[in-house]
Formats: sequence, structure tokens, C-alpha cells
Amino acid sequence: MAPRLSRLLRRLFTLLAAGLLLLLPAARGAPTAAPVIPVRVLLPAPFYDATVGALSDFRRSHPGLDIELVRGPLDTDTIADLAVGSLLLGEAPYDVLMVDITWTPLFAAAGWLEPLEPLVGEGVLEAMEPGARAGNAFDGHLWRLPFSGDTGLLYWRTDLMARPPRTTEELVSISRDLQRQGKVRWGYLWQGRQYEGLSCVMLEAIHAFGGRWWNPALGRTELERPAAIKAAALLDGLVRDGISPAAVAGFAENEALQVFAAGEAAFLRNWPYAWKVIEQGGGPVVGHVGVAPVVVAPGQEAGGTLGTWGFALLRGSPHPREAAAAIRWLTGPEMQRRLAVEQGYAPTWTALYEDPQLQKAAPLLKAQRAALAAGPLLRPLTPLYAQLSDVLQRQINGMITGQTAPAAAMAGAQQRSEAVVRAMTGAGG
Amino acid sequence: MSGLSLEQVSRRSGDRVLLEGLDLAVAPGECLALLGPSGCGKTTTLRLVAGLDPCSSGRILLNGEDITHRPAGERQVAMVFQSYALFPHLDVGENLALGLRSRGVPRPERDRRIAAVLELLELTPLVRRRPAQLSGGQRQRVALARALLRQPRIVLLDEPMSNLDARLREDLRPELRRLLCGGEPPVLYVTHDQQEAMGMADRIAVLQAGRLEQVGGVRELYTDPRTRFVADFLGRPAINWLPAEGGRVLGVRPEHLRPQAEGGIAARPLRREWWGHQPLVWLETPHGTLRMLLPAGGELLDYLMVGWRAENELWFDADGRRIDGAGPWRQQGRARAV
Amino acid sequence: MSELALDLLLMLPALLLLAAVFLLPLLRAAWLSLHASSVVTGLVAVPNGGANWRRLLGDERFLQDAWQTLRFAGVSVALELLLGLALALLLHRPSRGRGALRALVLLPWALPTTVMALGWRWILNDPHGPFNALLSRLGLPTYGFLTTPATTWLATVMADVWKTTPFVALLLLAGLQSIPADLVEALKLEGAGRLTILRRLTLPLLAPWIGLALLFRLAQALGVFDLIQVLTGGGPAGSTESLAVYAYRQALRFLDFGYGSTVLMATFALLLLPGLAWLLLQNRLPRRNA
Repeated sequence: MAPRLSRLLRRLFTLLAAGLLLLLPAARGAPTAAPVIPVRVLLPAPFYDATVGALSDFRRSHPGLDIELVRGPLDTDTIADLAVGSLLLGEAPYDVLMVDITWTPLFAAAGWLEPLEPLVGEGVLEAMEPGARAGNAFDGHLWRLPFSGDTGLLYWRTDLMARPPRTTEELVSISRDLQRQGKVRWGYLWQGRQYEGLSCVMLEAIHAFGGRWWNPALGRTELERPAAIKAAALLDGLVRDGISPAAVAGFAENEALQVFAAGEAAFLRNWPYAWKVIEQGGGPVVGHVGVAPVVVAPGQEAGGTLGTWGFALLRGSPHPREAAAAIRWLTGPEMQRRLAVEQGYAPTWTALYEDPQLQKAAPLLKAQRAALAAGPLLRPLTPLYAQLSDVLQRQINGMITGQTAPAAAMAGAQQRSEAVVRAMTGAGG
Repeated sequence: MSGLSLEQVSRRSGDRVLLEGLDLAVAPGECLALLGPSGCGKTTTLRLVAGLDPCSSGRILLNGEDITHRPAGERQVAMVFQSYALFPHLDVGENLALGLRSRGVPRPERDRRIAAVLELLELTPLVRRRPAQLSGGQRQRVALARALLRQPRIVLLDEPMSNLDARLREDLRPELRRLLCGGEPPVLYVTHDQQEAMGMADRIAVLQAGRLEQVGGVRELYTDPRTRFVADFLGRPAINWLPAEGGRVLGVRPEHLRPQAEGGIAARPLRREWWGHQPLVWLETPHGTLRMLLPAGGELLDYLMVGWRAENELWFDADGRRIDGAGPWRQQGRARAV
Repeated sequence: MSELALDLLLMLPALLLLAAVFLLPLLRAAWLSLHASSVVTGLVAVPNGGANWRRLLGDERFLQDAWQTLRFAGVSVALELLLGLALALLLHRPSRGRGALRALVLLPWALPTTVMALGWRWILNDPHGPFNALLSRLGLPTYGFLTTPATTWLATVMADVWKTTPFVALLLLAGLQSIPADLVEALKLEGAGRLTILRRLTLPLLAPWIGLALLFRLAQALGVFDLIQVLTGGGPAGSTESLAVYAYRQALRFLDFGYGSTVLMATFALLLLPGLAWLLLQNRLPRRNA
């Protein structure tokens, strides 16, 4: 019954799509001489807005090929719903899907993606910064090409200090001084809402103390270790001591950014996109913002969470070769040059970082390269990531809203993570 | 002054005038019927007396006391609604008890009085039934029982029998009179049915378009209507109207028409129907169709002349007001055969 | 053809439609709840006995969410009934501009839940929402309404009450209007006060309508999803997560359809409770004819 139902739905979908296609030429007016193969790409609204202007270049350089961008919702969760919903129906009405780095193993394991290496070659990533290559392959296959090399960064106020802090202790003491002097209301702003951004912050904190979240060799989390507990204690202390407002427990990227842009804090943890938003916002801190790697414990390597989107090819696309060409172009140097200048996104291609012209046009480039060189942090590369992240978010959010102490929060996180792995892999896998 | 009196009572709702300058007095124990077509103001009057709606102007006095602004619950009014307004979620006993309970009558007295009234109206076997399980007549008796338990200073009846069939209505009239009229409280009885009004009431007040047309005894209204409306509204079969000069009209009741050998109006019988044991004949005349009620066993010819006695003529002017001492009626022009 | 057979035949199209849109997905979910179907199995359903159900019974989060869902539904529906009744009584009184007032009161209900939830999220935002902006201006510290479990929970209840009280009020208003005016007048003439009329007449006659509102609202509140998802995302720390949100996470976020279906079936069982209670009550109560 179930396969028959899904076949029925698929037929219905095809029928609808066919009907729409029949209408399309009429709507477009003039018929074209040679048949143009359209590659349909679903992507979140901000990325659509950032890339749609360059499409004419693609049409010029790829005769007989077209990219149809489908502007998805703004919100990451909502676009995941849309993508998953259409993928579950069988034949998704897209060829290419823009996926977050954390979705790659999940979607690959679900069998929804087509490996890219036969289409784009094994060595395609070699011209990229080493740090930007991570997170695109899983289980021996390349599943996506990265759109950017974005990592978590520390934004600091050049008008309040001569150089950015390197260690967590420096950050805390600078914050205290500035708060005491009444120069800022808050020291450090970050993302503490119960959502994916909190996992990114926590990952950075765990690594800041030399620990790790996930042991891929053993397939288990290491959240009960001292480093993880220290990381939790750091975030907890920031809120308890008033260096971060209690409101961070409700902050996503934008809320934190707005408070920082209003000049109310000395430091902000955010992604590269925040730079342009702050500079274009015209607030009191414009011209006084610097960007640095996130802080770590003394003696530890700095590294921000790798938070990139990328393009993946959906299994069942009728023209994979053309779709691959579109992916190449969407993630190519020209597109990334444009995005670095216009949006402040970090490129992946090494050549772009060495281009003196771009260095001038994109002031973040140096800091971004340093962050990628430091070895950006990968969230657990496993199809169970969504569950693990969910567990961690709940525990950390519970801690910073005052419901548990750091050690208990991490013990709970470890225990629940183990339960997830046990339940999932013990259940017929 | 004892009894109920209304002085220049008016009721307006928005721009609409529902009742205008009504003066009315009801003596203790008297049953006064408010009669008129729908929308004439009779129910409005009842609601004003009950205190369910406020008067726009005028006063209402009960035994000399001004109750115009008394809340409805304090007027000690018993009202029987057209729908009976029995509480559907309560059985007969509870329906009767609810009012007593909300007035704080203690339990033993309550039980005693309810038992008595149930007995009086032969409702005792139905005490645990809900209104939905009762017949129309039974429901009406429950509504009466509730009114009796109120120990009212005024009794108001709003078309209390219009939901019953005609036979039952006739049977119930004496019972209703026996139970509600003739005691201390004045009784106001609203109906659109003149038969019922005549059967129930000591006096009748005829209302039309918010105004009082005439108030008087049953016979008085019939034999001496002061307006054309009253003459027309009361009496069945309806009165015959004959136009006369100067916009005047002459009313002659069908039972006062009679065949005569000579003089009068030439008439041709159109059809005949039975009005009880009397034949009612529809006549075509030069003055329009007339109705004639014949004595029992009266015979009819194909052509005849009809007439009436001068003392049975009811004259009205162009405004519908009664003219005394006019007539007798003279046929205009020559009578012609039809 | 017997009458029963004809009845069944006439009902067949409706029954088929119901089966297609309601029964089939339910049966599918029930079937899936007895299988492992996740990314670990490549989304293929593999029978796993009652493993999902055993996991459910030991799942602290499920138990916590079940409790949170019941608490949310109980408190918000109770408040909605009380406020809805008060509002209905107010709207039932004849007054100038009653029509406009009725339309105005309905506004929150006409608003899509997601829009409403986003609105509240903004209003309660710390520190930039209007409420906290006001506190700041008064020199008071801002308050994290949506970052403190107790107040976040209250916020979800308040938003739900704000949105659905008009629905309850409308339903009860229809009920009030079905009570013949002369019943109230008859009791008024008996000397009964407002409270007596409300207690002895209005409320008993309104009971079926109150039951109906209760049924609708409980079923809706026990399945609450979009309000929670948008207003709090289930946070802070899962303290406002409902069962429907949990089932959604399992299925669409974690792609664990086996366990997701299990949570869904459990939620469905919970939704059935008010319906069953209603049926029982209907049979227990003597038939009345209002």
C-alpha cells in the first residue's frame, strides 16, 4: 500500500509539474531556438538575493543551459522542512539543493543526494583553503561543493581597545574593565537560544579548552570530559557574572548583532555576514569594528566553527551533468569574489585570498583566512548530528537559564547523547 | 385609587413609536383584554407593566403606588408567556420551585405550596416530567401553576392559549377565569383573537398602531364602536361597508341585513357558506359585495332585495370616527337590477 | 435492499474520503511505529518489534513533553472558557456598537497563529521588544520573558488564550443566543437576581455549548504545534516543548520516522481523550431539549 501511495503521489506531482511546464512557454512569450536545459536550485532567501543578480553571466558563459533559482524561506528550519518534505515525496522538483554543512551526512544517509566526484573530479577541492575542504565528504563520497568558507568570528570594538583578546581570560577582564568604566553595558554577546547557533558556540568553547564534542573513531560524544565541563562553566560564568546579558539565552545571530550594533557591548560572536550588516546599518559602532579569531584558553589553538552552506545534487535529477556545471559555477571563484565584496562571505578558493585586488575590496579576508588556516571546527559528521545537537542545545540552554549547573548539564548531555546513539544504532542498523 | 392604572404611557425604541400616550385603568379582580392586530402595542403594554421594558414617558400606578421605575423582580407580577417559558432543563417540580427558591421561601413552605398547586391543577402525577415530555395543555397548566405560586399583585397573560387547539382553548377559558380573575390582582390579557377576548374579559381595550382605539365592555364595543377600526376588527363575519356621500361610510353587520319584499338594494346571491347552523350569503350589489347572515332555515331566491333597520346603521366620517345621528342611508341614484 | 444497506451505500463516498485522508495516514503511522525507519536504516522500514514503544516508555523527554502538553492544554483551555464566557456574556448584552465590538473581539482569532506567535515573540523580546523598551525607559532592568522557563510557559498560555478566547466567546455567544429571552424574563419576574439567573438558567442551558467548546479547544491545545514552534521553539531548555513539536522533530529534523510515528501515535491517543470523554458524557446525561 505504501509504495503504491507514494507512486500515486509521485504521478500526481509529475502531472502537476507537466501542467506547469505546459504553461511556461506561453508565459515566457518568445520560443527559443535550441532547447534550454533548466537546472532548478532551491536556496534560502538571503542566498537567492545575493546570487540572483549574477545569473546573466551564467547564461552568457553556458549557452544551452539555464539556472532557475527558487527563492526558499528565510529561516533555516523552514527551508529544511520544505526540502525534506519534497524529498520525502520521491521526486523533488529541484535538481540542486543548497544544504547546510550539518545536513550533508543526514541527507546523504537518507539516500537523497548524488555523489559529486564522478561529475566534478576527485581533486576539485584541492585548490581550496584546507580548512574550507572539510565537511563536504562523508562515507567516502563528495556530496556537496561549499558556497563559502564561513567560520565563527570574534567581532571587537577598535574604539575601546588596541588589540582584540586572544584568550577567554583576556576577554573577561577587558569586558569587566569596560563595563566598570561604563563604556559598554555588556561585555560579550553570543547565541544562547535553544537552536543550532548555540551548538556552534558550544563547539568553539569545547575546543577552546582543548576538548572535542565527538569522537568519530569511537562514534561517541566526549561531553563529560573536563574540557567540555570547563567550556560549559565558561558560558555559564559569562551569564552569571553579567559579562553577557541573561537575554543571550534568547539570542540568535540577529538579536546579538543588533545589540552589538547599537554599541551596547564590547564583543560579539558571529558569522562573516554580520560585518556588512553592521557597516551598512549606520549605527554608532560603524568604523570601529574589528574581526578576530574566537578566543581560546591559554595555550590552545583558535578555531571557529565551520558554518558553511553548499550545493548538493539531488538523486534523480534528469540532467546531473548540467546540474554539476551549475554547482561549479555557483561555487566558482567569480561568484565567490562577488560575494566576498558584496556580502563579506569568506571565499573557499586559495587564489582569491592571494588576490591583492580582492584583499583591498574585502577587508575581512585576512581574518577569514587565518580562521580557516587555524583549522575550523567541524560539528560531528554523523547522520545522528541533528539529535546530538538537539541534546546539547537543551542542556546548555537549560544551564544558562539557571536550571542546572555546568557539570550536571554536561553529564546529562553525555548520558542523553549516548542514549540517542544506542537507540538509533541498536534499532536495526 | 386601587387597581392598576396607566397614565399617558409611551414607549419608543429608536425612531419607532411602539406605544403613544396610553391611558388605561384596570380594577382589582377585573380582567381587561388587550386586543389588536400584531404590532399594535398590546405586548409592549404588557412588558411595560411587567417592568421588562422601561417606559419612555408616563406613569404606571398600582393601588396608588408609582411602580414605573420598580425593577421587574420587585413588582410581584405573574406572567404567563405565549411560549409558557418553562425551564427545559428542569422537571415540573423544579420549574415551580425555582422562583420560590430565588425569593428565599423556606423549604417546607415551598413544598407545601407546590404540592397544593400541583393538586389544584391536577399536575401531581407529572411532577418529575420535563417540559419536553408534556403536551401543550399540560405545559400551559404548569405555566399557570407557576403564575399562581407567585402570589401576584398583577397578573399578565400574553396570548396564553395561542399554542393550543381551538377546542382546548374554549374548554380552558372558564378554568383560566376561575383561577386568575376575580381575586385581588387586576388581570391584563393580551390576545389577537376577539373570540377569546370576548370570552375571557370583563372589558376589552382595542389597540392599533400604538394607540388606544376604544375601551369598554364586550357588548358596548360591538354595538357601539367609536371608530371604524373597532367596528371592523370586532365581529365575525366582518361588517359590511357601504360608501356614502362626503367620504362617510356606513357599516352594517351581516346579521342585520335581511331580505325584504320591497325597497332596499337589489342583490344577487353569489355563494353561500355555513356559519354554524346559519347560512352566510355573499351578495353582489351595485355597492359591492355584501355579506348577509340569515336566521337558521332562511330561504333564498335568485333575485332579491336586501335592507336593514335604521337603528342598526353605524356611521363613520372620513377619518374613521363615529358619527351619531346620521342617516338613514339613502340609495344614490336609482336602484338597478343586477 | 435493506434500509441499512442503503444507508451504508449512501455513506460510502464520505466514508471512503474519511478513510483516505484520515484513516490511511493513521494506519501508516501505527504501522511505522512498529518499525525502525531512520537514516540508520536508509529510511527503509525494518520491523523492530515493540522497540519504539519500549523506548517511548523510558523516554524522559516524552514524559516531560506529555506533562507539559497536558499542563498547557489544561490551563489555557480553562482560562479560555472563563474569559470566553465573560466575553460572551458581555457581548450578549444589548449595547450600542455591539456589532463592531463583536468584529473587533474576533480579530485575534482571525490572525494566523504563526503571525500571532511572531508578534508576541517580538513584543516579549529582551531587550528590544516594546515591553522591555518600556521597562528600560522607566529605568527598570529588562526581563527575559522568553528565557525564563516559568514566564515562557506563561507566555505560551497567554498567547494561546489571547488568540482563541474569541473563538470560545463566539461559540458561547451562539449558545447564549439560542436561549429564549422569555426564559430569562420569566425568571427575572420571579425576583431572581443576575447571579441566580446565570447559575440556575444560563449555565445549565449553555452546558452543551461549553462542552463543545471544551472538546474543540482541548483537542486543539493537546495538539499544539505552530504556536510553540514559532514563539519558543520548545525552549528554554525544552521547558515548553509539546508532544506535537517532539514528534515533528523526530520525523522531520532527525528523519527518524519509526520513533516519530510512535510519538505521534501516543499524541493521537492523548487527543482522543477529550473526544471519548465527550461521548461518555453525552450518553450519561439525560437528553434535554433546549
